[in-house]
Amino acid sequence: MIDDNDKIKVLIADDEVEFASTLATRLNLRNFSTTVVNSGQQTLSAVAKEQPDIVLLDLKMPDLDGLEVLAMLREEHPELKVIIITGHGSFEMGREGMELGASDYIMKPVDLNLLIEKISDICLGSKKDS
Amino acid sequence: MKKQDAFFEKFLPKSLKSLIDPGSGKRNYKLLRAILAVTMLAISIGPVLIVAGLGYRNYGDLVLKAEDQQLEWQLDGKVKSIKHMVKNLRSVVQFTARRDRYTELIEGDSLENLFLRLKQQYPFFADLGVIDETGIQQAYVGPYELQGANYQEEKWFGEVSDRGVYISEVYTGYRQVPHFAIAVSNYDPKTRQVWTLRATIDASTLQQFVNTIKTNASDDLFLINNQGVLQTSSAYYGDTLSQFSAPSFYGIQHDISLEGEYIFRAILQIEDTPWALVLIKKRFIHQADWKNFQDKLSLIVMACIVLSVLVICLLVSLLTGLISKVDDLQIAMLKEAEHTDKLASIGRLAAGVGHEINNPLAIIDQKTGLIDDLLQMSGEFEHKAMINNSVKVINQSVERCKIITHRLLGFARRTDIASEWLRINTIVSEVLQFLDNALLYSRIKVDLQLQDDLPRIMSDRMQLQQIFLNIINNAIDAIGKDGVINIITHKIAGDIRVVIQDDGPGIPEEVLPHIFEPFYTTKETGKGTGLGLSITYGLIKRLGGDITVRSHVGTGTAFTITLPIHNEAQNDRRQ
Repeated sequence: MIDDNDKIKVLIADDEVEFASTLATRLNLRNFSTTVVNSGQQTLSAVAKEQPDIVLLDLKMPDLDGLEVLAMLREEHPELKVIIITGHGSFEMGREGMELGASDYIMKPVDLNLLIEKISDICLGSKKDS
Repeated sequence: MKKQDAFFEKFLPKSLKSLIDPGSGKRNYKLLRAILAVTMLAISIGPVLIVAGLGYRNYGDLVLKAEDQQLEWQLDGKVKSIKHMVKNLRSVVQFTARRDRYTELIEGDSLENLFLRLKQQYPFFADLGVIDETGIQQAYVGPYELQGANYQEEKWFGEVSDRGVYISEVYTGYRQVPHFAIAVSNYDPKTRQVWTLRATIDASTLQQFVNTIKTNASDDLFLINNQGVLQTSSAYYGDTLSQFSAPSFYGIQHDISLEGEYIFRAILQIEDTPWALVLIKKRFIHQADWKNFQDKLSLIVMACIVLSVLVICLLVSLLTGLISKVDDLQIAMLKEAEHTDKLASIGRLAAGVGHEINNPLAIIDQKTGLIDDLLQMSGEFEHKAMINNSVKVINQSVERCKIITHRLLGFARRTDIASEWLRINTIVSEVLQFLDNALLYSRIKVDLQLQDDLPRIMSDRMQLQQIFLNIINNAIDAIGKDGVINIITHKIAGDIRVVIQDDGPGIPEEVLPHIFEPFYTTKETGKGTGLGLSITYGLIKRLGGDITVRSHVGTGTAFTITLPIHNEAQNDRRQ
């Protein structure tokens, strides 16, 4: 069994509650530690509180634009890894996010295996002992 | 200007707006052609006709004036000739009636001798008579017994006594032969009385003289007396002593109609005689010149008209042809603009729908994923296999939906285009790397003919990749298994051209016009969205390029993509 502390802490930020919670449940089943938030503001406070290893950030949230949140996160937590989740079905938003410092992007509907692969790739650099 | 425009609008074909309306059809080119032709003909032939008309009139006036003048000279000459003749006759009679000859003439045969001598020289003398102061004819030589005749009461006797000389009108007298008389009176110093010598002259003398001075310049020439009685015969008015009209006017008269022809008529009084000379001339002495002028004028006018008509017909047909071509072009452009607009609207709608469906789809995807996870974790239970199978089918359906929504969202590409200097050949190679496996699997050979020294172009890498990816994917799908894809790049003027050609089955002619329309697909349900080429078309247009397709059933299909080296449309948008 992997210790809770060894688990990769994932913060899922998406205003689609059902999507975010189900994704969290599935990640939990795969030994990730997850937290779910549904708005930009919640994202900012949760990052400060939970100190996640990686944030899955939806670009379209009701209060703050995903790219704004990303810019703020990058400013306060330069080391924080972010994967953009985009419902726009295009590379462009993802690419814009990457220009702002996101590590990668993935399009909805999310292929879980691909997502886990990306998370692992990104986080392995900082958590080699997993 | 607006008023003028409105004025012309009435005549000119329907405005462009009506052309867009499919019901209204094209311009009325027949009407346009007719209006143009009539206007141009009026403008070109009008002045010719005016100038010709003025020329005709002025030249006519000139000819008339010249004729007038000529006629005047002629008449003047003729009148002078007659005067001269009359003067001669009078001189002869005056010479014969020398004043001291009275006694000599009334005695013996001397009058007869004189008459014979005179007759030798002037055969037209008909008789001679010597009359004394009281009007009694004292001596007479001639064909009648007029010796002792009393002329006391005759009008002419009074006149000759008063004036010394008298010339009579032509009359028939006793002899019923037209003649006239010249009488001269003189004072005889011996007998101390005024006596008169009267000579009768045959009127044919006048006739002969008039005949001799009649030339081609006149059509009729004759003498009349004050009452309008002909003194010589006339070609038009009859023989001597026929009635002509009494002259109410002396000089030249125009525009008198005679036997259906217009004539000049000149009447001039001959001084010291009871006669007036009448000259009749058909109009236009210079008839040949006038005819020549008319012929030339009509020839020039006809030539002008024929030439104008020919040139105008040619011009009008050229012009309307051009207008028709421009109209066709405009209609085609409008249709294309309409098409592009339609595509854009569909694009916005599609993107909206895509986005709205994509989020619930993501939830379905996660929920089925979770069910799947839970199924894996749970032990065997009733219907587990069936549920497992259903979840798999749901997953497959979600996958199909995902492809559709992603393509729909492709329409929502933001209009910003990331521009960088790119090498087309590199992008083609990159795309081919993506497709390596698919090509290998389908045993498709790619034949590259890439021009080495192509200039770099300012464009968007991702979008170009997607364009080539879509078209090469289509080619792979079209070929199926075993085939060749030719990719050719080359530079043409300010553009770079990429030709992607497959040796697949080709696209039927009836399908070809629709291939860029959204949701148009010939693939079986579930295999294609009908959005690939439509998105590709939109992307190429956004990059300022163009795409055309050529296809023959049985030989294959070639897409030609033209991309500008500098994308001005994009630069404009950026400004």
